[in-house]
Amino acid sequence: MNNTMAVKSETEIIQNTETKKIMKRNYKREILEKTVETIFFLCAFISVVSVIAIIGFVFYKGLRPFIGEDAYSFVKFITGTRWAPSENVYGIFYMIVASVLATFGAVLVGVPIGVLTAVFIAEIAPEWAVKILKPAVELLAGIPSVLYGAFGLGVIVPMMKAISPKVHGQSLFAVIIVLTIMILPTIVSLSESAIKAVPRSYTEASLGLGASKIQTIFKAIIPAAKSGILSAAVLGVGRAIGETMAVMMIAGNPTAGLPDSIWSMVRPLTTNIAMEMSYASGRQAEMLFATGVVLFVFIMCVNLIMTYITKKTEDSK
Amino acid sequence: MSRQVKDNIIKGLIYASSAFTVVILAVIIGFILIKGLPRINMDFLTNSYEDKTTYVTIGATADGHTKIQDNQCVSEALGATLSVGEEGLVVEKIEKASLLKAGVDGTGAVYEIKKGDVITKLGSCQVERELKNGTSAEEVLEESTKAIQENTGKMKVKVVRRGGGIFPMIVTTIYMVGLSLVIAGPIGILAAIYLNEYAKKGKMMTIIHFAIENLAGIPSIIYGLFGSLVFVQMMKLQYSILAGALTISIILLPTIITTTEETLKTIPKTYRESSLGLGATKLQTITKVVLPNAISGILVAVLLSIGRIVGESAALLLTAGTVSQIPSRLYGNSASGATLTIKAYMLMKEENDLTTACAIGVILLTIVIVINVSSKLVTKYFLNSKGEKA
Repeated sequence: MNNTMAVKSETEIIQNTETKKIMKRNYKREILEKTVETIFFLCAFISVVSVIAIIGFVFYKGLRPFIGEDAYSFVKFITGTRWAPSENVYGIFYMIVASVLATFGAVLVGVPIGVLTAVFIAEIAPEWAVKILKPAVELLAGIPSVLYGAFGLGVIVPMMKAISPKVHGQSLFAVIIVLTIMILPTIVSLSESAIKAVPRSYTEASLGLGASKIQTIFKAIIPAAKSGILSAAVLGVGRAIGETMAVMMIAGNPTAGLPDSIWSMVRPLTTNIAMEMSYASGRQAEMLFATGVVLFVFIMCVNLIMTYITKKTEDSK
Repeated sequence: MSRQVKDNIIKGLIYASSAFTVVILAVIIGFILIKGLPRINMDFLTNSYEDKTTYVTIGATADGHTKIQDNQCVSEALGATLSVGEEGLVVEKIEKASLLKAGVDGTGAVYEIKKGDVITKLGSCQVERELKNGTSAEEVLEESTKAIQENTGKMKVKVVRRGGGIFPMIVTTIYMVGLSLVIAGPIGILAAIYLNEYAKKGKMMTIIHFAIENLAGIPSIIYGLFGSLVFVQMMKLQYSILAGALTISIILLPTIITTTEETLKTIPKTYRESSLGLGATKLQTITKVVLPNAISGILVAVLLSIGRIVGESAALLLTAGTVSQIPSRLYGNSASGATLTIKAYMLMKEENDLTTACAIGVILLTIVIVINVSSKLVTKYFLNSKGEKA
């Protein structure tokens, strides 16, 4: 009797210690799991911190020249048409105009070409053509912008020189051409997926009603893919307005003057920063940050429109 | 206008647009290849960019004759064959045990003279000066032969190693790729895991996604401004590869996070449930079940990132500098270096040298094509192997 009791209590003790062991291990495990989760969370949060830091620092540095003693007039800055750091003259209106015109031009030319190419890939092209076109578009997207600059400098600018009424080939027109090519891949691939997402029944219904293939594409499919195409265009705007290196090579970058035709040289906001940042200091550097702030505001508008469009599409679904 | 005519016109436009896309790509690639390919050779890939002059002291000449043969100075004593070039004696041939390979430079280290180096001063013979003064090639050869014969030890030789290559930029680019991936890779992947495996739908998730979308939309010149202010100036890293890599890491985050997240989403929920059901912890499930299945997506993310780093210019211009050298430190002095892309830009903008820029362009294009093809192969390979399993 005693013996069995002893055995029983022994097993109980063993069981107890075992459960304790498991509990202990669970406790450790829990700490580990929580720590790991926190690390994962911190990694994810870095992007939030980055966005806040970028906005904070760029705006802080960029708005400083307009505040306090010895402040530069913000109105003069935003409406001026001459950039002469040596004379303490900083006007960026002509750069804003250049950026807007170049972007507008590129989107005006690039969107129709891009959408039509997307239509071809998604609806019309035989398989072999898709096999050429899709990698071509992907490659076009992968080419570094410096090489677009080389292409612009070596091919587009001499061409412009030949047909332009002015002596130089660097011009708004050259910028528009290169930007058009650069935003094409974005527009083609996004429009293509938008077109492909249109339900098959739309096409069938339209064809069944006696519409031709082209009518079906333009009257049924494209209207249905409208928001996707629109967001492709908006993304194209974002890419075009932020492009720097390719544009710098072919824009001419004058120090003053609004562009009076597509043949005149321009100085978009981005190139202004890239041209002078490496040696600028003091007021000039702050003014370059201020240029960055203006650029940032444009980008934010683009992002906001983008969010609005995606939200609207989601709502309508 | 009849329907058919209208349709045909529009069809024509569609064909024209597609043709434009292909043709323009062909023109760009063709232009870069035609302009750049002739410039590429082994020296271009392995030489440093700047000429480098070194003073080397070599020991006493061994026995052996030195003679002039076919307008070349063939020296058994030196173990080398020299010919007269524009600025000095070009080393045409050099033997393994040559005296020129055992010379000592100013710091006392052994400096190996290589084939193709130019000797502008050889002991008492001022080769470069004489050539400039119009001394004929024969006389220079004779004089240098004499100098070699007279050498009784400690002969000073001034050597110029020809530059014109892009080796430092290749190394800097590799450093930049490695460093950026080491920083951004883990952060991006862990962030994606958090977003897909841990985060519950709510405010936090919306904020993080919103931030990532915004990061993707910011142009690289703004990143450059931010990097030059925070990393270069405030953190006092100066123009350096670390400052460049940190800036690029932020640029890469959206790419890595979204690509990885997309892959994680495709992993069936049942995988996780079975693992958890077998008693594995969440962490074990992630490391043993989720990540191995997401490897293809992570690989694609890495490949895309490499493409982005190699092609990046505006941000690096303002953070990593434009010097054509191999960075010897992570930050601080002599830590800056131009990547291939930056160098291509500098050549076009500052030196008006489109040919060399296009030669670099050929290399960049090759990298881009290799990346595009291999990311396709990765996806295909993993799709196939998954299909077999199922």
